[in-house]
Formats: sequence, structure tokens, C-alpha cells
Amino acid sequence: MATESVKYVAPESEVKIKNKVFPRPGQHTSGIVDWLTTIDHKKIGLMYGMAALFFLIVGGIEALLIRTQLWSHNMDVLTNREYNQMFTMHGTTMVFLVIMPLSAAFFNFLMPLQIGARDVAFPRMNTLSLWCFIAGGIILNLSWFFVGGAPAIGWFGYAPLTDNRYAEVLNDMGPDFWIFSLQILGVASLLASFNFITTIINMRAPGMTMMRLPLFTWMTLFVSFLLILALPAIAIALAELMFDRTYGTNFFDYLEGGKPHLWQHLFWIFGHPEVYILILPAMGIVSEVIPVFSRKPLFGYGLIVFSGGIIGFMGFAVWSHHMFTTGMGIVATSAFSILTMLIAIPTGVKIFNWIGTMWGGRIRFETPMLFSLGFITMFMIGGFTGIMHSSVPIDAQHQDTYFVVAHFHYVLIGGALFGLFAGFYFWLPKMTGNMMSEKLGKLVFTLMFIGFNTTFFPMHYLGMIGQPRRTHSYNEGHGFETWNQIATVGSFLLGVGVLIGVLQFFHSFRSKKLKPAGKNPWDARTLEWTLSSPVKEYNFARTPIIKSRDQAWENNYGSRENHSEKEPLDDHGVHMPDRSWTPLITATGLFIFVLGMLFRVTIEFSNLYLITPYEIALCGIGVFVLGVIMWATEGPGGYHLFPNEEEE
Amino acid sequence: MSDAHALEHHEPVTCTGVPNKKILMWAFLGSDCMFFGTLISTHLIYRKISGTVGGNALDIRDIFDIELTSFSTFILLASSLFMALAVSAIHKGNLKSTRWMLFGTIIFGAIFLACQVYEFTHFVHAPGNELTLSTYRGEPHVFGSTFYVLTGTHGTHVAIGVFWLLGWLVYSFTGRMSPADAMDIECCGLYWHFVDIVWIIIFPVIYLMEYAM
Amino acid sequence: MTPSLLIQSLCNRTALLALSIVLAGGCSRVDHKQSALDPKGLIAQNQYDVFMLAVWITIFLFCAVGGCLLYVLWKYRAKSDEEAKEIPPQSHGNSKVEASLIIASSIILVILAIPTLQGVVLMNKVPDPNDEETLKKLKLDRSQIDGAITINVTGKRYFWVFEYPQYGIVTANELVFPVSKAVRINLRSEDVIHSFWVPKLAGKMDVMPGHENFMWFIANQEKLLTRIDKDGVPYTEGVEQAMPSVHDGKMRTAVFKKQNFTDEFEPVGGLFYGQCAEYCGNSHAYMSFRALAQTDGDFDSWVGRMQDAQNPNLQPGPYDPQKDYQSGAVVLFADESLGDNVLREYRTPDGADRGEAPNLSGVWEKAHSDNYEKGKILFATHQCGQCHAVNRTGIGAKGPNLTLFGLRTSLAAGWMRNDEENLAKWLRDSESVKMGNLMWNGEGVTDDHPLRKLKDDDEKVNLLVDYLLEQK
Repeated sequence: MATESVKYVAPESEVKIKNKVFPRPGQHTSGIVDWLTTIDHKKIGLMYGMAALFFLIVGGIEALLIRTQLWSHNMDVLTNREYNQMFTMHGTTMVFLVIMPLSAAFFNFLMPLQIGARDVAFPRMNTLSLWCFIAGGIILNLSWFFVGGAPAIGWFGYAPLTDNRYAEVLNDMGPDFWIFSLQILGVASLLASFNFITTIINMRAPGMTMMRLPLFTWMTLFVSFLLILALPAIAIALAELMFDRTYGTNFFDYLEGGKPHLWQHLFWIFGHPEVYILILPAMGIVSEVIPVFSRKPLFGYGLIVFSGGIIGFMGFAVWSHHMFTTGMGIVATSAFSILTMLIAIPTGVKIFNWIGTMWGGRIRFETPMLFSLGFITMFMIGGFTGIMHSSVPIDAQHQDTYFVVAHFHYVLIGGALFGLFAGFYFWLPKMTGNMMSEKLGKLVFTLMFIGFNTTFFPMHYLGMIGQPRRTHSYNEGHGFETWNQIATVGSFLLGVGVLIGVLQFFHSFRSKKLKPAGKNPWDARTLEWTLSSPVKEYNFARTPIIKSRDQAWENNYGSRENHSEKEPLDDHGVHMPDRSWTPLITATGLFIFVLGMLFRVTIEFSNLYLITPYEIALCGIGVFVLGVIMWATEGPGGYHLFPNEEEE
Repeated sequence: MSDAHALEHHEPVTCTGVPNKKILMWAFLGSDCMFFGTLISTHLIYRKISGTVGGNALDIRDIFDIELTSFSTFILLASSLFMALAVSAIHKGNLKSTRWMLFGTIIFGAIFLACQVYEFTHFVHAPGNELTLSTYRGEPHVFGSTFYVLTGTHGTHVAIGVFWLLGWLVYSFTGRMSPADAMDIECCGLYWHFVDIVWIIIFPVIYLMEYAM
Repeated sequence: MTPSLLIQSLCNRTALLALSIVLAGGCSRVDHKQSALDPKGLIAQNQYDVFMLAVWITIFLFCAVGGCLLYVLWKYRAKSDEEAKEIPPQSHGNSKVEASLIIASSIILVILAIPTLQGVVLMNKVPDPNDEETLKKLKLDRSQIDGAITINVTGKRYFWVFEYPQYGIVTANELVFPVSKAVRINLRSEDVIHSFWVPKLAGKMDVMPGHENFMWFIANQEKLLTRIDKDGVPYTEGVEQAMPSVHDGKMRTAVFKKQNFTDEFEPVGGLFYGQCAEYCGNSHAYMSFRALAQTDGDFDSWVGRMQDAQNPNLQPGPYDPQKDYQSGAVVLFADESLGDNVLREYRTPDGADRGEAPNLSGVWEKAHSDNYEKGKILFATHQCGQCHAVNRTGIGAKGPNLTLFGLRTSLAAGWMRNDEENLAKWLRDSESVKMGNLMWNGEGVTDDHPLRKLKDDDEKVNLLVDYLLEQK
């Protein structure tokens, strides 16, 4: 290691209270302690990604069980309750534990690199976000093992089905697990979003103006804003539901004055921006990949950014199109219908601009590009069926049929997941330093593309001939069998494709046989490609001074005045903050609190109450507060590095 | 290079010139607006239903002790003044004044909380007029749900603010507070003012507004 | 630009052709039971028309954009490694192209928006009978609106209650309606959210607890009579065959004959399939129903039979020697052969004299078989009547109304064919057929409940089956 390093000794004034129990692990920490206490945005991103890929497999298995059950009429692979639990868990897992954290993984890893920052604004908060996400994932899946098993309320949890009154298993705990898990996942997303917003607004390298930000970073910013504004709606709705279930309030209990409609409104005020939260990151990725493999800058950069913003903004104005059949009246229905149609315009703009980017380029069909092209075509289909659903008369037939299932899988798999896979194939070399096998990548793409379309295209037709969603079985004579069988075959093909892809991703970290990636294997355009692969812990040895939008490209091919420069290394060197236990402790506190709230147990021993219902929860709060106090008082810590110029 | 004392920790210069913590606080407050917005909407949506019990119209505001609540509202608004003075004092480097102003804010915040606790207990036990989470006068009702959850959430915010300020008060005695902490105190102030402003909305929405059809 | 446009249009045409083939191949059979592609009513037809408009718009867009994409990918592909390293001109955009595309897409949306708004109004409002212009446009006759019938639909886990307030009758799971009249549907729920959906007649509307929703539909008689034979040639069928009558059991016979559940679907005219479309719990999948279209005469006869059956004044009373009985009237009279103090239903013969009790002469006819009478006793003693109303409206009853149950074509909310075998299976162990159903799991049904003990009692089950299926 040629890099010199010096331990940072904080001046007396900065040390608030010395923490002797959980001191901040130092510079040379490695192994499990490193992963548990890291505050490096790149490691956090990787952990986000790995956990999300694990949940992708879990949710995928649930999906395949669903597809197996629907192979033919009156199958009994699963009982009806098991089936209902499967689709609830599949939906919740895929939305909250797969697509969102996969996007978060890319945000974490890439955004600071793209704006020329050494880390996010609040590294420890970032770690807390990661552990909250993992705690949420664990809580959701713990539900399988307790009374009533996993929730069977659908990922939308429509009241009053979630009410105790209508529970079909006595003391069903599934919905409680679901509520608390979503709450804690919400905390994770909020923390991450505050962090990203601050980072992008405040920590750009000199010269990195907003209109020079890479598209992916723009989308990170929009998604973060969407999250902080949309999540409160569902957080409050879930809190109200929790109060209803646990303390007998009447928010959604129509027999005692509540309104089931209210739940739907609150859920979709969150739920529709959520759709854009899921798709915008993928759009950002595709907007990065296509210019690279066309060797042209993004066509209409400003318009793409602007339309992203418009989509995000309008996402808050169209939630009721999920409720066209709930009887909102002519005026509201028509208004939301028209607004929903309008949102198609900025979405279309993006597609036009991607094609415009390729126009006149030199297009290479490497795996990331294939996934991006898959994204465009399938997102187009999903978008078109979306336009159909914006029309109320059509929606009156399609709502809650397999047509809708086809529609949103085209958006969320064909769109979001393909975009994210494009991201993996594109940026994993930057993360691992190893190139992945193109052949295998193309095989994965082929399997996924064919499997996906075989699964979901027939569902359009199934919906039109009347197969309703969320039904564990169908009767003979409806003509559903053939197309369901085709869909099931396709789903296994898709499953195999995804599995190979995920294995390939994990493999690329380990393998010594793979070709080293070098700084810029794709001849890509944005700032992160000026760094070595894998990226050093300090990211930039010297802060770059940005001169143009596609900095890596300009450095290679642009005129001299567009080349980036570097700030002189001041005599402080690079200040690296120390790792910290406090985020993990704080998240553990939350986890214990949630368990305490779920199991309000009383343990009695010869008339002595050892544990009364809320003591575990209080313990959790205690641990949480302890973590926060330690956090606030442990001081910045850290060490200074003096990297050589070349080691970037 | 190995002289550790030369390596002082320095706040990085930000693009906007606004410190990171402040942006974080603003982002959080933006999000918190939506939290309260959702709760207040819930309350407003149930406004008409809140005006009846078992099919009979009645003015649910009868249970309120508007003098007490006006007093506590005044106290909370006054605490904002102390908070503003505290921020101003720390910017001027006047630690002693800061301490007193923080103390004032905390006391007034605590009085507000005490009023709320009194109000809640009073409502739950009001003879013949009991308002619980799920019932009013023994009949199923939504007003208790929206009232307690909305004002309770606000109260929790005040309580968190009080504890946060208490932390700084302790620091001011142990000599851990310095003018360099002005930014942190200012964030505290932002939070405190926000919580006050929210109360300015909640107060008329709950206590003054008509509930009848 | 010209050659590129040419290629583009060529691509479009090819893609269009390919898509049409896919569509045509996939939709070769569109008249499936719940197919929205086979509309038989005004509203469904409107929804179908808007849908097809949207399909063509989107196929056009897909071909245009997709063709453009294919063209770009082909034209600008890097043909060699050297070419892949070339640096094309770094153009950043073209605001004229972008603006014109935005305007074009807005225009296309307007084309879809207009019929959408018209459709919203049509779905939510029965046209005003005085508004002749609208009626003419919709090809409706004033009498079809004036004579509209109203049905209050209540969704329950997992079955449907249909109440006809105009006629004072209640039935369940099979909605009978006149083909030529508008049908107003008021939707209510007594537990969770359901959704009422008859794809061939109208789209769906949610059944919300605590909030009444409205929808309406009107069937199209011509479409019901137009059938397609095996060679795909359309022909018109007589009303009798196309729309078998319900009140005399012809519908049931026709359905049983044509639609063996194991057969490929063969449509019976006037029979529509409906389904709950909002997830409502364990057995949501089994919450279907049927809607049976009738000619005006048949509908009136059915209503008449239901009204008679559910009229409390027309129920058979104990035999009164002081009264004159008209021929065909039914009275109750003790029959020792069924057990002590058991009353049997007798039908008054021609020329029965006053005071001539049923047991005194052989001329009184037993109204029902012995099994029916025994089943009736079981029905009462096994607490079936606590939830099921037979021969009364029983509004608010927990279970489906079973009046004229023997005329129904289906069982367990449209899930099974209503025949002896299935009914026996249902009575023995309904939980295994339809997990979570109220009959097995309702309030107060425990393992001690006689219903749960029917499992191995063939005799009782058979008696109940006979009793229920003889309700016609």
C-alpha cells in the first residue's frame, strides 16, 4: 500500500463523550465487523444489492408457486389461503424488498461517484437505512412462522379486509407483521432519501452544475423527492390501521363510522408515486446505457430531465385511477382519467429521446444495451396498456383481471427489472473490477426476454376473456387452461434466466479468471468511469473540477478546455470517517421495538409479572435511544489518507 | 505529515453554501408536512361524521375546554420566541443567554405537554362525555380516533423537541456547547418552529371548526 | 429522408400484419364464458368499442415507434469492431422534432379522451327517457328505460343476494332479468369489498361496505339471438331456444344438456357469467354468479312464481274443515307415516268437499314425495332455516335465499352445477369445496352443529338433496 495514512485525532472540543463499549472500528477493520459497521456508500450499496437479489429469489419462488397453482383448472398445489398468502408476499416482496432496494443499491453506489463526492452527506445515516431495510425484510418474512402465517390481504391491504372482524384465522398476526415491516422499510427509504437529496444538492464537485448531472443522478434526486413526499401517506395509513387493529380506533371500520374508501385514497396517494419510484431509476439507468453503446450523448438531455420531473410531479395527481371502479362519481373519475392520459406524454418523450440518441450512432449490442432495448420495447407495451387503463370504460372491464397483471408486469419486470439488470451488467465491472461473460449475459437476456413475454403476453388475452386476478383457482370451461399453461412454462424460463443472472452477478465478485475491467471498459461517458475498478474507498484522490456533462468521454475525446482538472491535494489529505456500530445498534433497537409491539406477551412467574405486554417494546426504544445518544456523541473520528495521484 | 494535531477536522464547503444538516432538516420538514397533511386530511374527511353520535347531530366541541387550549396554544407560540432568541444568542456567541432561552423554550414546551396530558385524561374520564380512542359517550365514534392520533402525533413531536433541547441544555452546563454548534441549534430551531406552525393549523381545524353538517 | 420513411412505413406494415396475426390467432375464440371481447349489452359494447379504438391506436403507435426503433438499430449498428470505435457526430438534440412529437402524442390522446368521457357518463347514468336525441343515438326505445327494473345486490363472503324491491322478492346467486329493459343495480356490501362484474353485459363496479354504488346494464336482444355455428357462420335462433325460460326449468335443462362442466364451453343463450372481481378473502375465487336474461313474458312468469312462493299469505296452512278449498290449493295435514305430529303438504283435488279431510279419502294428492317431507323436517331440525330463507324473502338472512332452488342452474355461488351429486358433496363438506364459506364457518357453527355431522350420513344428505331440488 503506497498510500500513507495518518490516524485522525479529534481535538478535545469535538469529543463529546468517550464511548468505550462500542468504539468506532478503525481503519484496518476487515471481515464481518467491517461489513456490519461500514459507512462506505459503496459497501452499503453492495449489501443493499445482495440482500435485494436474495429477496428476488424468494419472491420469484413465490411467483413460480403461484404459476404452478394456475397451471390448470381446480389445481390444489396450494390451498386457497396459501395462494392468497403467496400473492400478498410476492407483491410486497417484489415492490418493497426487490425493486426499491435494487434501485437504492445503485443510488448508493453510483450517485456519489457520478457527482464527484467522496461519500454521501451522512454516511452513518446511510448505514442505518441499510439495516432498517434488512430488519424490515426479516420482519415481513418472519410472519410465515406465527399465528395465521403470512398476511393474506394483498399487497394493497384494502380495508376492511385487514380488520380483525374479517380475519379468517383467529388472532391472525399476518397483517400486523405486514404493517410493521412496511413501516420500518419506510423509515429506511426516508433516511436514504434525505441523504441523497442533501448529497446531490450540496456535495457536487466544483463545476458539476445541476444541468451537468448524469441522468441517473437526476432520477435519484426525483425518486428521493417522491419518496419523502409519498411515503408519509402510507406511513400514516399504516399507523391508523395499526391503531385500528391494536387499539380499536375506527379509522377504517365502516360499522363504527370509518370509511374503507379512505384507506384506498391514502394507499394510492403513496402507491402511484411508488410506481414512478420503481420505474424512474430504471429509466435513469437506461438513459446512461444507451448513449454509451451508441457513442452519442443523450438526445434532448434537458427534455428528459424535465419530463422526469413532470412524471414525478404528476405522479401525485393521478392516484385515483386505481379506483375507477370504486364509485367516485362522474366528475372525479373523468378528471383522473384525463390527468392519467396526460402523464403518457412525458413518458413518450423519454422513449422518443432514447431513439433519438441512437439515431446516427454506432450501436453495439452488448448485454447492458440488450437489456436497455428490452426495457424500451416492453416498457412501451406496458405504457400502451397503461394508456388503455386510463380510459375509464376500458378500465371497467380490465380492472382486477389478468390484463392488469400483464400491464404492470410489463412495467415492473419488462421495465424496472430489465433496466436494473442492464445496470448490473453495465456497472458491476466498476463494482468488482471484473468483466462478466458476454455470452452468459446474452443467454440470460434471451432467457429472460423470451420467458418474460411468454409469461405475460398471454395474460392480456386471459384478462380479456375474463380471468380475474387474485383467484387461486378457476373453473372448467372458461378457456383459461391453454394460455395459463403457456404462461407457467414461460415463468419457469424467466425464473431460470433470473437465477443464472443472479448467480453470474455473485460469481463476478469472486472469480479470478475473469478479465479485469480497467477504468473504462465500455468507453463510457460519465464521471464514475474515470475511476479505477473497483473504486478505491476514498473514491477520488483529488476532487475533480468538472468542465462538461459527459466528463469521462470529454477527457478521452473532447477538446482540451473540456478536460476535467483536479483540485490540489491539501495538506489534510483525504479525511475518511471511521466505521461505526451505532447505526446497527439503532436499527436493532427498532427491530426489538417492532417485535415487542407484535408480541405483546405477558410472562408470569408465581404471580410475579416478569414481562408485561409493552416491556419488550420499551426495551427496544431504550436500545434505540441509546444508539442515538452514542451516535450523537461518538464524534467524527476517522483517519486521513494521502493517496497517490495514480491510485484513483 | 504525521503531526496529528495539524489535521483539524473541517466542515467541507458545500455547493449551495447551506450546511448539509440544514438541508437535511428542510427535507425532513417537507416530509413531515406530508405526515401531518395526511393526518389532518383524515380528520377533515371525518368532520361530518364526527358531528353526529348514533344518528343524532351534536356539537362535539362541547367537550373542549377552549380557554385551556387557547392558553396552551399561546404558551407554545411564546416558546417559539424563546427558541428564536436562543438561536440568535448562539450566533452572537452569548452562551449564557442561549442557555436561558433554551431553558425558557423547554419550560414552555413542557407546559404545553402538561396541558395536553391533562386534556387527554380529562376527556377520557369526563363523566357522561367520555371520549376514548374508539367511542364517544359509549357509542362507537371516529372523532376520538382522529383527535387523539392527530394531537398525539403533534404532542410526540413536541416531546421529541423538548428532549432534544434538554440535551443541549445539559451540554451548555458541561461546557460541551460552543458557538461552533450554532448550526445544530439552528436546526433545532427550525424543527421547533415547524412544530409550532403545525399547531397553528391543527388548532383551528380541531378546536374551532364547525362539525355539524 | 424519403428512403428512411419508406422503410419505416414498410416496417409498420409488417409489424401490423404480424400483430394482427397474433391477435387473430389468440382471439380466435372470443365468446368464452366471461369474455369482455364478446359484448352482449349496450354498456359492454361501448366499453368494447373504446377498447378496440385504444387497441388500434396503440398498435399504430407500437408499430410506428417500434418500427422506428428497429430501423435505427439496423441502420446505425456498428458493423465491425473498427466502426464500433468510430466517433459519430455528438448531436445533443433537436427541439423541433421533440416539440412536434409531443404535439402529435397529445392529439392521439384527445382521440381517446373523447369516447372515454362519453363512456364515463353512459356507465354512470341511465339516459333520461325524455332525452330523445340520446336515446336515438344509443338505439334505445323509451319503453326500455321507462320499464327499467331495479335490483339491490348485496355482496357477502362468498355469495350474492339479489333483491327486487319493485316485486318484493329475493333470490341469490342467479340474477334473472328481462332482456329488453334497463337494469339498475344498487350495490351494497355487508362485510368486505367485493366487485360486481358481468363482462358480457357491463364492466365492473365495486361493492363497498358503508357506501352504495350504482351501475346499470341493458342486454341486446338481437345479439342474444345471433349465434355462430361450428363453421363460423352466423345465424339467428328462435327466442325459445336462444333464451330458455327459467320459471319452468327449461333454462336448467338447457344448461345441463349443453354445458357439462367437463365439456368445451358451449354457450346457452341468455346465460351470463359474473364474478367477484375484488379480492375478498380465502374463497374469493369461488364468488361467482350468473345472470339469466329472459323475454318479458318469461321474466313476468318467473317474478309471478317467486312472488307466490315468497308471499306469506299464500303459504299452506293447516287443514281447516270449515273452509272451502279450491282445486290445487295446498294444505298441511298430519301424516303419521312421517312421524308423530308431522304435517304433510296435500294438494286439494277437484271436487273436494268441505270437511273432507285429506286422510279420509284417497283423492287428496300428496304435494311432495316422502323424501321431500322428510328433508323438510331435517331442514328445520338441523337449523338450516336459521340462515336460509325458503319461500320467504328473509331479508337480512345470513345465507343465500333458497326459494325455488330447484330452478337454479348452479350451486355454491355459480361454482358447481346444481345437481344431486354436487349438492350432496356440498352438504357433506362445504369447507373442502369452498374454504372459508359462511355455512361452515359462520357465527355459531361449531363442531356440534348438525351441519358438520352430515359428513357420513348418506341418508340425511339424500333427503336434504331431494327436499332442496324439489323446490321448483
